[in-house]
Amino acid sequence: MRNLTLTLAILGSTAMTTPAFADGHLPIVEEPLELTVHMHWARAQGYGPGGDTSKIYPVEEVAREATNIHLIDKTSGRNSTDQSEAMNLLLATGDLPDIVGGAKIKQPVNEYGPQGAFQPLNELVAEHAPNIKAWFDEHPDIWNAIAAYDGNVYYIPYLPDGKYARAWFVRQDWLDALGLEAPDNVDELYETLVAFRDQDPNGNGEKDEIPFFVRDWEEVLRLLNLWDARSTGADVYHQFYLKDGAVAHPYAQEAYRDGLANIAKWYAEGLIDPELFTRGSSARDYLLGENLGGMTHDWFASTSGYNIALADKVEGFNFIPYLPPKSVSGNRIEENRRIPMKPDGWAISFSNEHPVETIKYFDYWFSEEGALLANFGVEGKTWDMVDGQPVYKDEVLNSGQPVNSQMYLEGAQVYRGYPQDYRYEWQWTRDSARKGIELYDQEDLLVEQFLGVAFNQDEQAVYDKYYPSIETYMLERQQAWILGSGDIKEDWDAYVETLNKMGYEEVLEVMNSAYKRQYGG
Amino acid sequence: MSMDPNTSGISTEELVVEAREAQRDLKPSKLQNLGDHFKREWQLYVMLVPTIVWLLVFLYKPMYGLQIAFKDYSIFRGVAASPWVGLEHFQTLFGNDQFLRALKNTIIISFYGLIFGFPMPIIIALMFNEILKQWFKKSAQTIVYLPHFVSSVIIAGIVITAFSPSAGIVNTFLGWFGIDPIYFLTKPEWFRPIFVGTGIWQEAGFQSIVYLAAIAGVSPTLYESAVVDGASRWQMMWKITIPSILPTIIIMLIIRIGNMLEVSFEMIILLYQPATYSTADVVNTFIYRQGIQGGQYDLAAAAGLFNAVVAFVLVMTANTISKRYSRTSLW
Repeated sequence: MRNLTLTLAILGSTAMTTPAFADGHLPIVEEPLELTVHMHWARAQGYGPGGDTSKIYPVEEVAREATNIHLIDKTSGRNSTDQSEAMNLLLATGDLPDIVGGAKIKQPVNEYGPQGAFQPLNELVAEHAPNIKAWFDEHPDIWNAIAAYDGNVYYIPYLPDGKYARAWFVRQDWLDALGLEAPDNVDELYETLVAFRDQDPNGNGEKDEIPFFVRDWEEVLRLLNLWDARSTGADVYHQFYLKDGAVAHPYAQEAYRDGLANIAKWYAEGLIDPELFTRGSSARDYLLGENLGGMTHDWFASTSGYNIALADKVEGFNFIPYLPPKSVSGNRIEENRRIPMKPDGWAISFSNEHPVETIKYFDYWFSEEGALLANFGVEGKTWDMVDGQPVYKDEVLNSGQPVNSQMYLEGAQVYRGYPQDYRYEWQWTRDSARKGIELYDQEDLLVEQFLGVAFNQDEQAVYDKYYPSIETYMLERQQAWILGSGDIKEDWDAYVETLNKMGYEEVLEVMNSAYKRQYGG
Repeated sequence: MSMDPNTSGISTEELVVEAREAQRDLKPSKLQNLGDHFKREWQLYVMLVPTIVWLLVFLYKPMYGLQIAFKDYSIFRGVAASPWVGLEHFQTLFGNDQFLRALKNTIIISFYGLIFGFPMPIIIALMFNEILKQWFKKSAQTIVYLPHFVSSVIIAGIVITAFSPSAGIVNTFLGWFGIDPIYFLTKPEWFRPIFVGTGIWQEAGFQSIVYLAAIAGVSPTLYESAVVDGASRWQMMWKITIPSILPTIIIMLIIRIGNMLEVSFEMIILLYQPATYSTADVVNTFIYRQGIQGGQYDLAAAAGLFNAVVAFVLVMTANTISKRYSRTSLW
């Protein structure tokens, strides 16, 4: 049966694949070829369902039949959930598997690739990987962004699709109860939060509402955008950003001073969750479930899901996305977006004796057939092709389990290097979130992202020497100011002076020299 | 040497010397003796093997890697191929205010732990010793041992909940006295008491086992004669129990001092925030952030080596002092 499905899949995809010659090369090898793989990422520490490497992903089985290449798990650091730790452990053993993949591999791969730990992929891609080449020909900026300081590319990244990640959410039913509209600018936001605090929108007669809450405390820093400051330049927190074409750190800007002073004021007034720093990941479950939380900044899809989950528990519960409030200068931005390329993916190690077969295998996941497999799982099992569109089966969409969790167990959406297909997520995005995404799509809210730089060894040494301490200091001061110990406006000059003493200028210098080399800016 | 008035004429030393001489006469040769010894006691040596192997593999072999503290270490190039840089990493460390702060915090937290944490298991053991009802003693012991077996992650969760400003038991209690909720875990001044207190709560009961064992070894005749002499329980505790377990207490103290800088950093990582770094960041968490997470193994090794040297000096000092004044020592 599987053979039949597979044949159909191949036939189906060949008929409409763009690079016509791509699938003709399958299988890649006549005799089965085993390649070992390190695959360490958040959902699985090992190449098997949920990290259980004694089992084989259904997706892997199909890929084996199609390519004749068998990936065999050889993941290091499987008892740790920290990918960087696992990767460092792997590198320290010196005994690298053929393919090194998973989350957060960009930095180590680009640092140790030039030292000889990984094979440069430029020529291999140009000669043997037509699908990968076609993708990057369309996105040359991303090719630049993944390159190491020697100009070579050492890994094929996981390439997320879709634009927005997180959004501003508000309890529409609370707004209705108080006769308010969704806030359109920072002043209205303030008034709305005050109303949530004082006017008992949950109607229990107690002043127990938490007007603004977040799951990761760093998410509160998005409020900085409302005073034209930035909280980060990338899709992780506290990163450098691009300011007028040069690299700078958001926490060393004057706009940050003013923004954080206001966040501290809001915190002191009880508009922001008083337990901001210790509430942790259960904040959303708890505060929404207990009918206490009013607004947040969180993921479109998962946050909208509470409308269904809490429909019976909280009467009238309606938690919907609204447009980011305009800043003091009238700017409307959504700082958080999906980064077009992740530091995740996979690389070919120096000890791999089959680099050509491996790059062809990598290329398979960029072909129409491979990309469908990587995104949606096994055709006929989890999805069907309907009018040329991959559509999940009902039992997948209505299983009660999030579709992404199901995919991770199938072996789809695993952090191999592949182009993600947004159609995968759209299908299980709730209506309320879809409306929100459409709302956000009406305006151009995105800001330029800083895709990172690759340091040479001298630059890396400067960065390592100064930056970890600088970031520690920045975060220490940041939390202290929010908590009201110290006044950022009074402390600002001393703060900037300390940063400079700690080597901030030196870090900026290497950042910018690396940036110019990499992007030709 | 003080003579014991209770024994007649010959002292212990003399007896030992006599016995040795008698043995020497019997000895055919050292080698043969060793062979006989092994033949007789081979089971003991077999039992020793795993420990020696463990020591060699996990404690002696890794010492080879200590040299990276003096090298510009690249994980991929390996220990041997990385170039030497002398004391550069130590200079970096001591030029880093955050390291010095972490060192200060480590010493303060350890010191608190020693002052408040060390006597607690002894007190618990003495208290258990005074309990007469067996069922109560057994259940009380189980209850105080229990936290030791709970994972740090769970303990940290309990602590975070207990000290939460909105729902925590501590703030609820303070609320009865009209005190406004305090957000304890973001206040630098509260971190050390909370951390040290948690450590005592978690480990004091379990650590008392050693002292209970020592108390069980005290000869009952001592107590019986004390009862005949009309001593109160309090007097028996001070005059018999505590002096009898003093050697155990001192050995434990020396070990404790040797481990002083080994603050249980997983608990700190679970409880600290950037807001409390100023009192909570210890050498081990500093190493973890800079070294392991930041990939600077050479710097982390330098900090770790420094830690070990300080611990060695501490334990040597404690041992020497103890040897001189109480005649009890580790070696």
